[in-house]
Amino acid sequence: MKRIASGRGEVALHELRAGAGPTLLALHALGGSARDFAALAAHWPGRVLALDFAGHGASAWTRGGSYTPELHAACADDALLEAGDAYLVGAGLGAYVALLLAGTRAPRVPAALLLPGRGLEGGGPAPRFERPLELDLLLATEATTRPAFDPMLRACETDPRPPDYARHFADAARRLLFAEDGGPRAPWWEAARDAATSEAAPGDPLAALSRLLP
Amino acid sequence: MDVSYPGAVAPLRQRFVVSLGLRLNVVEWGDPGGEPLLLMHGFYDHARSFDTFAPLLAQRYRVLALDSRGHGDSDWPEAYTWHTDVLDVVNVLRELGRPAHLVGHSRGGGLATDAALLFPAGVRRLVSMDGFGPPPAGWEAEGMRRYQGTVPELLAAFFDWRRTNVSRRSFRPSPSLDELAARRRQQNPRLSQEWLRYFAERGARAIEGGYVWKVDPYAARGFGPWRPEWIAPAWRGLTMPMLALWGDQPDAWGLPDPWRSERLAHVPVLETAPIAEAGHFIHIEKPAETAALVLDFLGRA
Repeated sequence: MKRIASGRGEVALHELRAGAGPTLLALHALGGSARDFAALAAHWPGRVLALDFAGHGASAWTRGGSYTPELHAACADDALLEAGDAYLVGAGLGAYVALLLAGTRAPRVPAALLLPGRGLEGGGPAPRFERPLELDLLLATEATTRPAFDPMLRACETDPRPPDYARHFADAARRLLFAEDGGPRAPWWEAARDAATSEAAPGDPLAALSRLLP
Repeated sequence: MDVSYPGAVAPLRQRFVVSLGLRLNVVEWGDPGGEPLLLMHGFYDHARSFDTFAPLLAQRYRVLALDSRGHGDSDWPEAYTWHTDVLDVVNVLRELGRPAHLVGHSRGGGLATDAALLFPAGVRRLVSMDGFGPPPAGWEAEGMRRYQGTVPELLAAFFDWRRTNVSRRSFRPSPSLDELAARRRQQNPRLSQEWLRYFAERGARAIEGGYVWKVDPYAARGFGPWRPEWIAPAWRGLTMPMLALWGDQPDAWGLPDPWRSERLAHVPVLETAPIAEAGHFIHIEKPAETAALVLDFLGRA
């Protein structure tokens, strides 16, 4: 595990598999960690790096409690700088972050695989105006027993994700694979999957991963 | 402190309130046993911007003013989001232990309004002084910078900016407080040099080469799909009366009509008043007139 500078802090970047082939950068779901990709890593022909997002795993909680997918994407961008060119795989919140990064850094990301998982939907296409959750959040941060991940991360389950915003990143990306298992998907996912650079992939993560390399 | 300003009174008390791991600066005027009234300053301002306004309200209330995270004497977080700033207001209200009146200017008015939506049990009446959000996308006041690029290009620019600037502790210093105040005056030409010199002395710190604002250069900077049209529909949920005030003179930092009227139409129980011969900073330009309207409104609670 290596700590890399990111913003005003550091995040933990784990090498799950060494190898000379193409690099895969793995981005976990909300509440998860780099370890979630241990099984998948064994099936990739090259090096596999996996990030612990801020507030998760071996990465520190963000001082002041601010979390958004874009801030997670900024951490992932720091990891990408460390990785060099890399394929991306993301689950849940990590899938949305992978979309943002694949569209933002297209020259360095040949393809990205988006898998379902916690934090995939966000809060829907526009804000909802009933917000009791945030008071619960304050109480959770004041609890005496420290939870496994920062309760403030739940902001990444209620943030608006407009489909047209997601689509901008899909249109700018080089190649996106969307794992489909027949389950319902968020409007942002469907809008991004309809881009010319996008294709549906099998719902089984291993089968989908095998389609990531050309 | 060497310069004074007519009507300006330093706070009587100062303390810190901890919110989400940050130490936030709170200053107070008036009787500590009085009915609480919390003031929220605007973007790049600080609690001491209320030094002429707060004493007028303190004749009747225990007046508190919070330095927003990254501003004044409050801690700097690692990153900024709107809703953590709102939660800071909620935390200060919770710490008071009894419902308070909430009065905010500009960005502080927006934070106060969202805090009132989130924690109605802690807010008696709400006053927003030209705190009605930025204009719709694609409309910028003269002289405002417009960012160019596709959405992914703008996010890439944020990543690059964050990587190179987030560790920066200050902007370029001004050689003197007089010059720092004069530079601010280019942004806010309606405010007098005399006021801004007073304000700068309380909102600046000395570094090598001169003076800089205490504010975090990273303050309130971020990126996301947020849209101005999302602001006002939420105001339908306000459960307390709201007083909306603004200056009747054009000012690049205020929200003009038709947008102001369109947004305020969402507020269920609303009173409004324009302040004559004032721009965006009504509480600084016309403290007595503004305080009289606020006291009248709150006195009817």
